[in-house]
Amino acid sequence: MNAKVDHFDPIVFERPGVTLTRSQVDAFGREIDALREEIMADLGEQDARYIRRLVRTQKGMELAGRGLLFLGVLPPAWLAGTALLSVSKILENMEIGHNVMHAQWDWLGDPALDSSTYDWDNTCPAEQWKHSHNYMHHTFTNVVGKDRDVGYGIMRMSEEQRWNPAYLFQPAYNWVLASLFQWGVAFHDLEVERVLKGEKSFAEYRAQRRKIMKKVRKQVGKDYLLFPLLAGPFAPWVLAGNATANLTRNLWSYLIIFCGHFTEHAEMFSEAEIENETRGQWYLRQLLGSSNLEGGPLFHIMSGNLSHQIEHHLFPDMPSNRYKQVAPKVREIAERYGLHYNSGRLSRQFGTVLKRINRLALPSRRKPKNATV
Amino acid sequence: MNVITASNSQSGTPGLIRRLGKALSTPFDPEDYLALFDPLQSAREIRARVIGVQRESDQAVTLTLQPNRLWKGHRAGQHVLLGVEIEGVRHQRCFSLSSAPGGAPTISVKRQGRGGVSDHLVNRCREGDLLTLAEPAGEFVLPDPVPERLLMVTAGSGITPVHSIVKSLLASNFDGKVTWVHFERRYRDLMLSDSLAQLRRDPRLDLRLVLSGDSPRDGDQAGRLDEHWLTDNIADAAARTVFTCGPAGFLDTVMDWHGEHGRAPLFHERFKAAPVVAGEGGRLYFSRTGGQAEAAAGVSLLEAAEQAGLKPKHGCRMGICHTCKCKVSKGRVRDLQSGKSRELNGQEVRICVHAAEGDVELDL
Ligand code: FES
Repeated sequence: MNAKVDHFDPIVFERPGVTLTRSQVDAFGREIDALREEIMADLGEQDARYIRRLVRTQKGMELAGRGLLFLGVLPPAWLAGTALLSVSKILENMEIGHNVMHAQWDWLGDPALDSSTYDWDNTCPAEQWKHSHNYMHHTFTNVVGKDRDVGYGIMRMSEEQRWNPAYLFQPAYNWVLASLFQWGVAFHDLEVERVLKGEKSFAEYRAQRRKIMKKVRKQVGKDYLLFPLLAGPFAPWVLAGNATANLTRNLWSYLIIFCGHFTEHAEMFSEAEIENETRGQWYLRQLLGSSNLEGGPLFHIMSGNLSHQIEHHLFPDMPSNRYKQVAPKVREIAERYGLHYNSGRLSRQFGTVLKRINRLALPSRRKPKNATV
Repeated sequence: MNVITASNSQSGTPGLIRRLGKALSTPFDPEDYLALFDPLQSAREIRARVIGVQRESDQAVTLTLQPNRLWKGHRAGQHVLLGVEIEGVRHQRCFSLSSAPGGAPTISVKRQGRGGVSDHLVNRCREGDLLTLAEPAGEFVLPDPVPERLLMVTAGSGITPVHSIVKSLLASNFDGKVTWVHFERRYRDLMLSDSLAQLRRDPRLDLRLVLSGDSPRDGDQAGRLDEHWLTDNIADAAARTVFTCGPAGFLDTVMDWHGEHGRAPLFHERFKAAPVVAGEGGRLYFSRTGGQAEAAAGVSLLEAAEQAGLKPKHGCRMGICHTCKCKVSKGRVRDLQSGKSRELNGQEVRICVHAAEGDVELDL
């Protein structure tokens, strides 16, 4: 450290390449707060029109896709139907459902887009998702041992996680997780490992599982039973189309989400580091723990604007259509404070994710500095 | 008493088809898809299309509504929470229904000049616009059996619920007498004048118009309400069942008069809620558990409720997860992050980052 220690303005944030004093962290926090206020005060008719038009488009595509699949014996109809249904499922889960459940659209006062009542077309029940994602993941982002999205309880995504031989297979079962992503998400909040350790009661686990199974039955009933039955002799085509659409959605959302926090420079934190964390420090952690993806407008929409993962983590309840507008300002602030703004194209970012998965399958050579037990 | 409510049952959709539709559209409702073709469709709220806009004056309109099938009709005199989208955001306000039950519901709205829902409806509402309605509510309705002798005392927009009551009464086989005194400043402020002219022809109704700012025309009177007016002008006013609605000061006069002289029941409808006291910090009223607590300035509603022994659900405690959202039925709150204060009427707030500014009623 080169600066001399100032007892009135101690260093409160230290990471490879950055040291920030209390007053610097506070000033940083205030700048990010101001950015948030500026956008939130500006929300209005344009934004309302955006989300409503998107919902109509998505529902229209879904109807068209399901309709075409009834004619699925004709290969072009099957292809078009499956594509439309896949895109509509992706839009619904990512740009609509995920963001609505984050309360990004609560200000509209529209019960159809309200975080407390919305449920998405996914096997994970909204209520549990909001707990594991909105609360746990967004509050404790990248805190190893707290944020269960770090490896979802089955993968080793950080040096700080203790190695065990099962992780040797993670480069392979990573792909299984990718294909079954919605199931991973649904059962993730059950926290089986905590039940086994006795940290969570079996009764709670059972009640939760019952809710999940209820939703699973409805979701499976719709895509794999009712729609195929309705198609009569064409059931196989409808079934195949629906399964393909769900798989496509799973792979795509896995891809985007893994690029959000597991890229090369995305940083992990320890529980000790977040003790008495201020708002400014929380913002810093969100910024350094997240990574963005670059691409065109359509790519951003299809990723549910999680391509702006950094902005999403700084402002989880800001309407996602505004992330694009704040991104350059966040980047400018970050650079001014000497903070790394992690952004790159999908192929590059995902390449580094795979590298991390492969590297961490093997035990770490150096002793992690804050290993969790 | 013949309470006339529109019956609009769902019997058109057999249960099995409905269940299949629900299973095919899960986790949504079939209506969410049908709304692509007909925006009135909804499974979760009453939506209504404006099918008639009648200018009452440059200050007021009567809107005729065509609600979707979730609308189950109202009782004469009831009000409804009406929602309208202004610049993308839904705003809600209560209005009395001015129509008699049965046909298409109407509301009559006067401009308030404060840029709120009323002004929007008067200035900008067009045929074809969509509105939302909550279930009609309110106890300002005729008792059963209907009293033989009725006295209606109204002023300004207080005319609307009483218009509904009188119209439905005259449409029934009521064989008593109803006297209705309506106070208004000028003729051009009078709402529903066409309908009043028609109702007036019914011999069972004695309708008197009292004006304070215009010279009265044929049969109308000049004057304004004071504590003697009713005794002086209405034969055995004290013995009649009274229905009254109007501005706060007007209502107080009627109720004071009734308190002193009245011998029959009085029903009243107050439009504006008593003003909330604003200030730093305030008193919390927990509507679900019935308790109260004092909240200091700058202390979040969540902390204040916890100090009072409640356990509201919450997550991050820093405003990001929205787990702690709770409905504020009435009150003013300050956003502890932005410092902005705003008035709430049934909206939800994150109680971990909002503090009380005066009396706040919470759904806890
Ligand atoms: S507890 Fe998370 S927003 Fe209030």
